[in-house]
Amino acid sequence: MEHDVLIVGAGPSGAITAKRLAEEGFRVLVLEQGDWPDYSKATVHREDFPLTAGRDWGWDPNLRQAPGDYPIDDTESDITALMWNGVGGGTVVYAAQWQRNMPSDFRVKTLDGIADDWPMTYEDLEPYYVRVERDFGISGLANDTAFPPGEGPPLPPVPLGPAGRRVAKAHNDLGWHWWPAPNAIATRDYGGLHACQQVGTCLQACAYGAKGTADLTHWPRALELGVELRTRARVRELIVRPDGLVGGARYIDADGNEQEARAGVTVLAANGVGTPRLLLLSGDSPDGLANSSGMVGKRLMMHPFGTVVGVFDEDFRAWQGPWGQFIHSLEFYETDESRGFVRGAKWGLQPTGGPFSMTSAYPWGAENEIWGEGFQDAVRGRLGHSTMWGIIAEDLPEESNRVVIDRVNRDADGVPGAKIEYRLSENSRRLVEFHQARAKESLLAAGARDVVVAPFIRSTGWHLLGTTVMGTDPATSVVDAQGRCHDVPNLYVFDGSVWPTSAGMNPTATIAALALRFAEQLIETRREQKVAA
Amino acid sequence: MALTDAQRAQLGAIADQLIPAGGGMPSASEAGVAGQYLDEVLTSLPDLGPALETALAAVDGLEPDAALAVLREDPAAWGVLTAVVPGAYFMNPAIRAAIGYPGLERRPIDASAEPDYLQDGLLDSVIARGPVFRPTPTD
Ligand SMILES: Cc1cc2nc3c(=O)[nH]c(=O)nc-3n(C[C@H](O)[C@H](O)[C@H](O)COP(=O)(O)OP(=O)(O)OC[C@H]3O[C@@H](n4cnc5c(N)ncnc54)[C@H](O)[C@@H]3O)c2cc1C
Ligand code: SF4
Repeated sequence: MEHDVLIVGAGPSGAITAKRLAEEGFRVLVLEQGDWPDYSKATVHREDFPLTAGRDWGWDPNLRQAPGDYPIDDTESDITALMWNGVGGGTVVYAAQWQRNMPSDFRVKTLDGIADDWPMTYEDLEPYYVRVERDFGISGLANDTAFPPGEGPPLPPVPLGPAGRRVAKAHNDLGWHWWPAPNAIATRDYGGLHACQQVGTCLQACAYGAKGTADLTHWPRALELGVELRTRARVRELIVRPDGLVGGARYIDADGNEQEARAGVTVLAANGVGTPRLLLLSGDSPDGLANSSGMVGKRLMMHPFGTVVGVFDEDFRAWQGPWGQFIHSLEFYETDESRGFVRGAKWGLQPTGGPFSMTSAYPWGAENEIWGEGFQDAVRGRLGHSTMWGIIAEDLPEESNRVVIDRVNRDADGVPGAKIEYRLSENSRRLVEFHQARAKESLLAAGARDVVVAPFIRSTGWHLLGTTVMGTDPATSVVDAQGRCHDVPNLYVFDGSVWPTSAGMNPTATIAALALRFAEQLIETRREQKVAA
Repeated sequence: MALTDAQRAQLGAIADQLIPAGGGMPSASEAGVAGQYLDEVLTSLPDLGPALETALAAVDGLEPDAALAVLREDPAAWGVLTAVVPGAYFMNPAIRAAIGYPGLERRPIDASAEPDYLQDGLLDSVIARGPVFRPTPTD
C-alpha cells in the first residue's frame, strides 16, 4: 500500500491532520475537490472589489458554482450553508474570529440537563488549543475572565480602535464582560504570516498573507514533509472491502476520469455537510456507511446569527479595520433559565465596511431602509461611523435538522448533491431576540444615536456541525472519543461533524484543537490500529 | 455588453428612485449610474448584464415607482439592481470624495505604540470582577 492514511478535505482539519501525521513519518495522501486559492483576485484596492469579491470570494457554493463546489439544496432550511471548497477550506474566507469553547460547552447535560456532554472536557482540550494557536498565529490576550487561566495566544491582540474602546468603556459602566478579541490575524510578522494591514477584507480573502489560513499556516510545511495533495479530486464514495474495513476512496480527477486511492486508514475532514454526504453515498446499505446508529447526517447545527449595528456621531473610520473582531463579550453566554431559554451566545464587535456595504442586506437587514429620499445623508451617517455586534447563537441538536442526499441536483461530475433540512427552534429564536435586545443596550450605552437590529439574515450558515455525532454509545453516536467510526475501525471523522453540541462560538479553534488531538491519538495507537492491508 | 439608450434611460429613471439627488450630491442618473459607471460595473462583472436586461424587460413600460415596486418583490431582480446602482454610484470618484471615502488604505499596526487596551486602565474593572464562566467538574 502506497499510503498509510488517506484524508478527504484540505481545510484546517485535514491540513492539521496531514501535517502532524507526516511529522511522525506517516505516508499521507489528501484528496481535495477544489483548487488552491488564487490571491491575484484579492484586488482589494480596486474600486470594483466590493462587486468582484462577491463573485471571486463568495461564500455560497450554490451561487459561486466553482469547479470544486457541489449543490446544496436549502429550500427546506431556514439558513443557507456557506463554505469554501479548496485548499485551506473555509479559513480562506473566514472572518478569523478565533474562539475557544468555554468549559460549560463540554458539559451541557450535566449543567443544563439538555442534549449531551462531550466525551472530553475543556481541560482535556486546553493543551491542543495552545498548540493550534501557535500554529495559526493567533493574536489575543491571555487570562480572559471568561475562561480558565492559562497560556494565551502567541501574538498581541489587534487594536481595539475607537469603536472597540468606546464599547469597552460602556461595558465597564454596565458591569458587563468584554475582552480584547482573539483573532487568527497576525499582528506582527510571524512564521510565514505577514503583519496585518487592517484593510478589513478578511471575509473576502486576505491580500497580505496576514490571516491564519490553513493554506498558509499548514500546507507549505505539510508538502515539505512529503504529504501528497491532489486538488480537483472529488471523492465520490469510500471503498468498502468485504472484511468491512474501508480501503480508500474512488474519486474523479480534474479530467473527469475515475480514480482509486488506497490507504490503510481513511480520515474524513470534509465538514458538517461534506462528511455525512460522503458516508451516505458509500457502502451497499441504503443508510450509507458507518450508520448503524442512524445518526449520520442528523443533528445539523449552524448557529443562528444576529446582527445589531450602532451608528455614532464619532468618526471611527470603520470602513476597514481588522475584520476579525475588536473585542468580544461573553456576558450572556452562560445559561440563565429566567430568560426563557437555555444556553447563550458570543458577541464579536466588528467594522461595517465601505459605502457599498452601507446599502447591503448584511448587516442592515434585507429591507435596508436606506433607499430614496435622504440616501446620501444616510450613507454619510453610517459610513465610518458605525460598528456592529455579530451574535453567534448556540443551537441545540435536533434530529429533524439534517443533511440528506439530493439525487436530483448533482455536481459537475454527476455525484449527487446534498440537501439540508433545518428549522430554527423556539429556543434559538428566543435566544437570538434576547441577545439582540442586550446588544442594543450595549451600543446605546456606548452613545449610539441610532441602533439597527437586522431582522434574521438567512445567508449565515458559516458553521456546519454535529452530523456524525461523537459519543461512547454506538447505538446513539457515529464516532467515538477518538473520532473513529464505531462501525468501521479504520475510518475516522476529524472535522466539526463530530460535535455533540454546538456551543455559541465561532468553531474553528475547537475544530482545529480537536483535529490535532485526534491526530495525536491516531499516532499513539498506531500499533493496534486495524488497517486495510 | 451594450445596453440600448432606451434601456439606459429606463435604468436611470428607476435608479433615481433609489438614489435621488440630495445632501448636495447628484442623483444616480446624474452621477452616471446608467452611463459611464454602468459600463465600468459591467466590465468588472459581465454576468450582471444579461440579468439586468431581464430585470428591466420585466418592468418595461411601467412608471419608475411602479417598476421599483415590482422589482422589490423579485429577489433575483432586486439583487441585480441593488448591486448595479450603488456599485456604479460609488465607482464615481466625485461621489467617493463627497462622502469622504478614500478607499481601502493600508494601516499597518504600530507595534511600538502602547496597546490601546492598556490605556486608562480599561481592563481593570473586568479583571477585578473575576471569572465569569461556570467551572465544570473535571473528572
Ligand atoms: C464566510 C465564512 C466565514 C467564517 N468565519 C469564521 C470565523 O470568523 N471564525 C471561525 O471560527 N469560523 C469561521 N468560519 C467557519 C470555518 O471556515 C470552518 O469552521 C472551518 O473551515 C471548518 O474546517 P474543516 O476543515 O472542518 O472544513 P472545511 O474548511 O469546510 O474544509 C473541508 C474541505 O473538504 C473538501 N471536500 C468536501 N467534500 C469533498 C469530497 N467529496 N471530495 C474532496 N474534497 C471534499 C472541501 O472542498 C473543503 O476544502 C467561516 C466560514 C465561512 C464560509
Ligand atoms: S484586516 Fe488584516 S488579516 Fe484581514 S484582510 Fe486585511 S490585512 Fe488581512
